[in-house]
Order: sequence, then structure tokens, then C-alpha cells
Amino acid sequence: MLWALPLFPALAGLALWASGDGSRLRLGLLAGGAAAGTLLLAVLAAAQGWQGGFAWGAGLALHLALTPLSAAVAITVPAVALAVLIFAAAHEDARGLARLLGLMLIFCGAMLLTVTAADLLTLLIGWEIMGFCSWALIGHHWRDRANMASGRYAFVTTRLGDLGLFLALMATWSGAGALDYAALGRLDGVPLALAAFGILIAAGAKAGQGPFAPWLFRAMDGPSSVSALLHAATMVAAGAYLLARLHPWLADVPGWSGAVIELGLFTALASGAVAVMQGHAKKLLAGSTSAQLGLMFVAVGAGYPGVAVVHLVTHAAFKAPLFLSAGIAGDAAGTYRLREMGYMRALPWTAGLTALAALALAAVPPLGAAWSKEQIAAAAMHESLLLGLAVMVAGALSAAYAARFWFLAYGPGNAVPKARPHWPEIAALGALALACTALGLLWLGPVQAALPMRLPEGGSLEIGASLALLAVGLLAGLTLARRETATEPHAADWLGLPALIGRGIVRPFERLATLAARLDDSVLDAIPRGAALGARTVARGGRRAWGAMQADQGLINAAVWQVAAMTRALARLGAGPGETLSDGLPEGAARITGRTGADVRRLQTGLSHHYYAIFGIGAALAILFLIFGKA
Amino acid sequence: MLTFAILLPFAAATLLAFAPLSGGLSRAIAVATAALALLALVVVWAGFTPGAGFQAEMEIPWIPALGVAWRVGVDGISLPLALMSGLLFIAAIAWPMEREVNARQYYAWFLFLEGASLGLFLTLDLLLFYVFFDLSLVGMYFLIGRWGHGDAQRAALKFFLYTLAGSLLILLAIIALVLMTDPLTFDMRELIALQPVAGMDLRAGLILLGLVIGFAIKTPLFPVHTWLPPAHVDAPGPASAILAGVLLKMGTYGLVRIAMQMMRETFATYALAIAIVALISILWGSIVAFAQENLKRRIAYTSVNHMGYAVLGIAVAGSAVTGHEAARDLALTGAMVEMVAHGLITGALFLIAGAFWARTQDYELGHYGGLAGNAPRMMAAMGLASFASLGLPGLAGFVAEVQIFIGAFAIWPWLAALALLGLIVTAALFLGMLQRIFFGDRPPVLDGFADLSRTEIGILAALLALVVLIGVWPAWLLDMIGAGAALTFGGG
Repeated sequence: MLWALPLFPALAGLALWASGDGSRLRLGLLAGGAAAGTLLLAVLAAAQGWQGGFAWGAGLALHLALTPLSAAVAITVPAVALAVLIFAAAHEDARGLARLLGLMLIFCGAMLLTVTAADLLTLLIGWEIMGFCSWALIGHHWRDRANMASGRYAFVTTRLGDLGLFLALMATWSGAGALDYAALGRLDGVPLALAAFGILIAAGAKAGQGPFAPWLFRAMDGPSSVSALLHAATMVAAGAYLLARLHPWLADVPGWSGAVIELGLFTALASGAVAVMQGHAKKLLAGSTSAQLGLMFVAVGAGYPGVAVVHLVTHAAFKAPLFLSAGIAGDAAGTYRLREMGYMRALPWTAGLTALAALALAAVPPLGAAWSKEQIAAAAMHESLLLGLAVMVAGALSAAYAARFWFLAYGPGNAVPKARPHWPEIAALGALALACTALGLLWLGPVQAALPMRLPEGGSLEIGASLALLAVGLLAGLTLARRETATEPHAADWLGLPALIGRGIVRPFERLATLAARLDDSVLDAIPRGAALGARTVARGGRRAWGAMQADQGLINAAVWQVAAMTRALARLGAGPGETLSDGLPEGAARITGRTGADVRRLQTGLSHHYYAIFGIGAALAILFLIFGKA
Repeated sequence: MLTFAILLPFAAATLLAFAPLSGGLSRAIAVATAALALLALVVVWAGFTPGAGFQAEMEIPWIPALGVAWRVGVDGISLPLALMSGLLFIAAIAWPMEREVNARQYYAWFLFLEGASLGLFLTLDLLLFYVFFDLSLVGMYFLIGRWGHGDAQRAALKFFLYTLAGSLLILLAIIALVLMTDPLTFDMRELIALQPVAGMDLRAGLILLGLVIGFAIKTPLFPVHTWLPPAHVDAPGPASAILAGVLLKMGTYGLVRIAMQMMRETFATYALAIAIVALISILWGSIVAFAQENLKRRIAYTSVNHMGYAVLGIAVAGSAVTGHEAARDLALTGAMVEMVAHGLITGALFLIAGAFWARTQDYELGHYGGLAGNAPRMMAAMGLASFASLGLPGLAGFVAEVQIFIGAFAIWPWLAALALLGLIVTAALFLGMLQRIFFGDRPPVLDGFADLSRTEIGILAALLALVVLIGVWPAWLLDMIGAGAALTFGGG
């Protein structure tokens, strides 16, 4: 029954795609309806504890199940998708809109498969299909080949991480003979370590952590509604979800939690710095996603997967509207350069709603995102004071880039927008901003008590320190925004990492491939050519030894190659004068034989010659073997 | 019924070769014949009991003194391959000819090739196996040399001589193998039961070497694969599809049926060496394919990569490491699915490549661009096939590869881990290919580029539907094969 949850949006998406472009109203209603239906299914599935199974064959099976954590994500995904799809139907280009909305629904289906998966094989299936969707969506405007190249970059980068999941899958099966998550608990030693770190690599790649971060920038070539879905509810968020979901079995693996924390913290600080420097609206947000996911990683590593998932949900609620708003501002300015914007006066509604989301990103109480960030800080504090402080610094960075984003995009300015948002766009933005606000309920004690998870205890001193740093961050962000200059530092392109990857991995590989191809044509192909040459030499000297040859296998080979050489010579003869002859008299030859055309005849004579010659030798050898072999 | 499936195409080929029929009628007869042959196979499938060994057997004595007879029968190994071949032959025959010359002979040779191919998979006699193996070379030689383009004759000759050299090694090995039996028999079932070279030292190794080199040429594996790219590039699309889809499988099928099943002990001794060759093929094939600027060469090299996966699965299955029966079973099932999947997927890709040639006479990737606009059906078919080929879940290639990887990891973890790298390279190269053909700006010369015709898209839809079906619901195929896999290890 749980299969309905991933399958419904996926099939609806396929149908929508197949139905073709049409009026925005129709497409928007259908896509929105499909998302709403999925949301309903998700709620039902969570309430009634649906499960699913499917016999794959060969002793493998696929399992679906929901835990409280996964149910929360399973509801978040279609809820965010609903708003994003309605926005997209009103905002994106009419050409290819059906494909765009359909693919986004399929994307949600793949994400829901990942979320409901209860074994590694099902997980891998959903995980990789998400990769496909991201490729197709990032390259949505395919007439610009650079977009497709970015899609390919995203697919290949995240698939590099997927290899970690393959590794985990293989290690789990070989160690436990099964692939369900519980099998992870039966592993030990090297297979367990491989599985745990393989999963970490896969999660890190999807979540844009550490060295995998640059694909998030490239993914910005997709439409902004795609970015909203990709960052808030699917793909990127899946990385943190996966770690949280599998945390119970992996937490005790030596070195694993530490590695998760280090990766997350490093990314939260580095990507935060990148976001503070970025002058491109969407890339700024992309950097912030990577940083926020880093914070979720820290929460998981510190032993609070539940906190990570709460932050995932609050992050979804503010990151989706921010991307949608960036799309509106981008259309208004005709570019994503932040310094060309400034729409407080021209687009007051958008500016106001975006402010809510930006405040949530900055983690200003009483918004829900502030609570989840404070929980992460508290969890980090439990781990060590230094870690706690580092998380607070990361929080200050997020306040800085949030403030800078809002002030540049929607702060005071006299820019005249080239395009204005339609009411469904505002409505979608408003709904998400409302959700951001509603999540503020998380600050209430009874709500916290109802959460099905362990929470870290935080002191008021810590909250005070955190808020002080936040204020510093906000001020710094506003100051930076005021002093915005035309040139952004080179480091804004992910601290030079993309260039390093290009020079250190991509180009060397391309050179290697070219070299390999050349070797393949020259050296490897020399094997048959050399054999033919050798055979010719042998043939010249070995005519007299013909009779003795047949007994020894090495010489038999030589004999074969002698024939090969002879036929080659024959063929050359045929290819030279033969060709001229047959080209000159095609019809004549055809008439003489009365059957096939001229060249088939030429082929046939050449062929039957060597074919029967070699077959004859083979048969003779066979008979000789039968005679002498038996004796 | 199996005999009917083999002989009917031969009979129809003879008819087409001599009766003065029109091109259209020849085509109709050829398609009908191929469909009937497949129907016969489906009837056999309907009565097939997974796990019950060889079935639908028939035996007619031929040369009793040598133990040679007309023997046919299927098990879980050969039935899926025969069914896939039957389907692919219909597709290739029904596909529009690239150059409409001598249609009658073209279809005659295709049917001849189909008879030989089905015969190879269905026969249970080793001598007939060899005969069919060689006859398939003849059929393909003519199809490439006669209806190919470019330097077709040179490519055809290279293909022919190279693989014929391999088949001679196979012949020698077969004879040596059979000579170990007393009384002489070419019966595959008896040879599997007898294990004629069990316990022998060097001679057994030499026999295996002959078989492996011979089949490696056909498969093809690194470093004896260089005949493949020119043969594909110059072959007409449908012939390429059969070459990749059916003929390459003869190599891997031979490895399973003869090398692995009849020489279990010897094969296990050298399984690691074979696995390493397979690993090199996986990596080399994908890396070299990545650098190809020619559409068909690029697809051709991915065959080296994919067949490397299949051979890796076979090597794992034959490794006979005790305590890992489940892993070996999984690997062999995976290898079999890989063969079927590769047949369907690469068959489709080569047919599409043929469609490109028919429209532009050009395989250079650099000359294309922006075709998604005026050829959306082509884009859909090629996109689906490409993603299937790079192993996207939900499509057939993934089913095969994930099982091979899981099985291989249990036996040789480092080897499986290295083989994973192939997944990245194939992803990059297929996406790059799609990007360059279908996206970006369209060169003005391609403005009149026609999308796939109704016939073409119908044929591709049938092949790709199966790719999707295997991808989302593999159980039926895995069950059919599983039987054969169990049989391999004795008794089912």
C-alpha cells in the first residue's frame, strides 16, 4: 500500500508530461492536484502505518516502511512541492511547462521512494532516479547547451557519491546476506566500516558537502522553481535525511560520527563564507543550502538525528520561498546579479514575504528555523564547547548572508522591475512564508514534548551567546550589502574548488581517455596486424615444414595465420584491381551470374575461398586428431 | 519445436535466395518467418519449468561413431538468450533498410543469420554449436561487407578473420575436450555430467585457454576487441544491432556453457584471471568510449564495457569459492540479465545509430546538435536507451549490474570496487553523447532532419518497453534464469 506514495506522483508526472503543453491553468491545476493528492496519501500513510514489499527476484526484495522521522519528511516533500508546482505553473516559460511540471512530480516520487525505503536496494533505486530527474530539470532549457552540461555535471558528481551507496549495498549483502536496514546492525569490522562510510559519501555528495559542493552552483542553471524543489524538499535534503534515518545502525562505527561532524562543520563554515561573498542571488542561496545541510550533518554526528530532521523541515519551509523569490527578482532584473536588484518599493508583497523567509534563514526567533538551529547548537555543545561555538559562528554566517540577500534583492532601491509576479506566485510564496511562521510553534513546550525524538538540553547562556552572534551576523550582512561592489572575490566561486576539480580531475581524465583511445587504435590493434605479419614471415620460411606443422598447436596457429596472410593478400588484390573491375562492369557481372549483384559476387568468391580453406584445414585437423589422438 | 525455430529461418533464407520475389514481398516473408520462429520459442517458454534442467529436448542420431547428433533443448541459460535473439531479429529485419539494394538477398542473409544464431543457443551438441558459431560469421560477413558503408569490406574481412581465428581455437579446444570422453560424445549434457578434464593439469588449462581466447575475441574482451569498432562503424544499423545484441552473446554463452559448465574445476582455478581481464575490459571499454567522437564507435566501445560486466559475473559464478553459493548464483543471474539487457539496449542504440546514418550519412558527434526540437521521438528513444545503458534503476541494465556487483563483491571485494568506476565513466559518456546530439544550437544543415518514422518508433518501443519491464519487474526473468544458475552447480 505504501507503494502508492511514491508511485502516484511519479505516474501522475508521466501522464502530465505526456499530455503536452497547454494552458497554465490546466497544467497548474493538474500538477497542484497531483501534489495535493500525494500530500493526502502521505498523511494517510503516516497515520495508518502503511507498509510495502515487492519480490525483486533472485532472492532480493524491496521493502517500504515509515518511521516517525521518515513520515515527517514524507509529508514535507509533497507539501513543499504543492506550493512550488503552483508557483512554477505561473512563473516558468510556457514552452516545455508540461515536461517541467511532470518531471518535478517524478522527482517527488523518487524522493518519496528514497524516504519510504526500508532497504538499501530500494534506497539506491530512488536515490539514482533522483539523479536522473535533476539532470533533466537542470537542463530544462536545453537550447542552451551549457545548461545540459551543468545537468551532466550534477549527475556525474552525485553519481560519484552514489558509488558509496553501491559499496554499502555490496558490503552489507556480503556481510549479512540481506539488504534491509536492520542488516546493517548485523555487520561488523570492515564491511560495516565500508557500509557506513559509503553511505556518508553518498549522502555528502547529494547534500553538496565538502568537495562535492560545486555541483550545487552548477545546478543553479535550472529554473528557479527547480532549485526550490531540489534544495528544499528533494535530492539535496535527501543527504541529511539518509544519515538521520540510518543513524541508529551507524553511530557506533568507529570514527563515523566524528567524520560526519567534521564534514558538516567544515561545509557549514566554508559554504557559509562562500554565500557571504556571492553576488549571484541563486548561488548565494545554493551556498546557504550547503551550509545548512552541514549543520544537519553536525546534528546527526552529535547523536541527534531527530534534530537534523526538524531542521530539514524548517529549512524546507524557508529555502523554497527564498528560491521562488529569487526567481521573481531574477525575472524582474533580467539577471541574478544581486546588485542590480532592490525591489522593496516596486514589489512590496514579495519583499515582505521574502523577509519572513530570510529571517528564518538567519534563525531569528520566534521562527521555527531558529529553534531547530538552537537545538543543533545545543547538540553540538554537548559534544564539545568548541564545536558548539563553531556552530554558532556558522549561525552568524547564515544571519550575515540572509541579511545580505534580502537587503540587496528587496532592500530600498529604485530599480524598475521588467516583470512582475502573478497572484499565484505571490500566493505560493505566501503559503510557504506562513508555514515558516507556523513552525514557530516549535518554541512551545507542549509541541516540543509531542515530538517523537530525543532533544538536547540547552542552557539559557548558550542561547544568549548564540543570539549575540546572530545579531553580529545580521549587522555584518547589512553592512556588506551596503558596501556591495561590482567585483566579487574569486573565492566566491566555492573557494576555487570547481577550477581545482576541472584541472585536477576532469581534464586529466579527458586526456587519459584520448590517450587510451589512441593506444587502442595503434598498439592493441597491432596484435592482429602483427600476427598477420608474423604469419607471413613464417609462411615464407615454413613451406617445407607444412607436413610436420599440424601436430603442434603453436604451429597450427602459425598455419592459421599463414592462411590469414594469404587471404589478406587475396583480399587486397580484390580490393585493388578487383574493385575497379567490378565497378566498371557491375551489370555485366550481375547478368553473368544471373543472381546477385557484382560486389556480392566478388565478396563471395573471396569469402568462400578463405572460408572453405580454413574450414577445410580445421576439418582435416579434426580428423587427424581423431586418428592420432585416440591412438 | 526448437528444431522448427532453427530450421524455419534457414528454409525461408533458401527460398529468398533462389525465388525471384520482389523486395516488399521478401521483407514480408522475412518478418513473418522471424515472428514464427519467436512464436515457436514462446510456445517452448510457455511449457518451460524453471529449475528442471534441459527441456523441450529432441535428438536425432547423425554420426553415431563420433557421438554427434542433432540435439536441441533449452535451460534457464539458453532460453532467455534465444528469446531475446528472436525478438531482436524481428526488430532488425523489420527495421527499414539503409540502402535499398538487393533487398531479397539482404533478407535472405538475415534469416540465414537468425537460423545460425538460434541454432547456436538451442543446440545441445558441441559440434553443431561450432558449426553454428562459424555459420553466424558467414552471415554477418555478408551483411557488413555487402550492405555496409565506408570501408565495409575491409571491416568485414577483419571481423571475419579475427573471429575465425578465435573460432579455430575453440574448435581445437572442443575436439580436445571431446577426445577425453570414451565413448566419444558431443552431447553437452553428458559432457557437463562427465566433467571430462577434471583432475587433469596442464592440458586442461590449455583447453581452457583456447576456449577463453576464442570466446574472448567474440565477446569481445580487452585486448582482442579491436575488430569490433570498425565492424560496427561500417555495418548497416540492423546488422550492427544483431552483431552487438546477438553475436557478442555467443562468446559469453560459450564461456558459460562450455568453459564454465563442462570444465568446472579448471575454470575455477583460472576464474580470478578471467575476472581481471573482465575488469580491464570494463574500465578500458568505458574510458576509450569516452574519447570517441564517432557515434557508432562510442556505442561499440560501451559493448566492451558491458560485456566485461557479464564476463565478470560469469567468472564470479565459476569461481567455486565454497560458502558463497548465493553470491555466485546472484552473479550468474546478473550476467545473464546483462546479456539480455545489453542485447535489447545496445540493439536499440545501434538501430537508432542506423537511423542517423540513413538521414545524414554522418556519425560525427560534433556535427550534430539541437535535435531535441525536431526529433523528440528520437530523443526519447535514445535517451531511454542511454540511461538504461548507463545503469539507471528502473531499467534493465541496473538489474544486471547491481547483481553482478553484489555477487562479485562477496568473492573479490577490491575487484568489484574497482569495477564500480565504470559506472561513472559510462554515465559521463552517455550524457555527453545526448548533450551533443540533441541539445544546444542546431546546425542549419539539420533543419530538415526527420524524426523517427512510425515503423522505427514502433520497433524501438517494443524493445525499450521490455527494457523498462525488466527494470521495474525483473522477477519473471530472474526466475527463468535462476533455474539455469542452480543447474550450473549440479542438480538444480
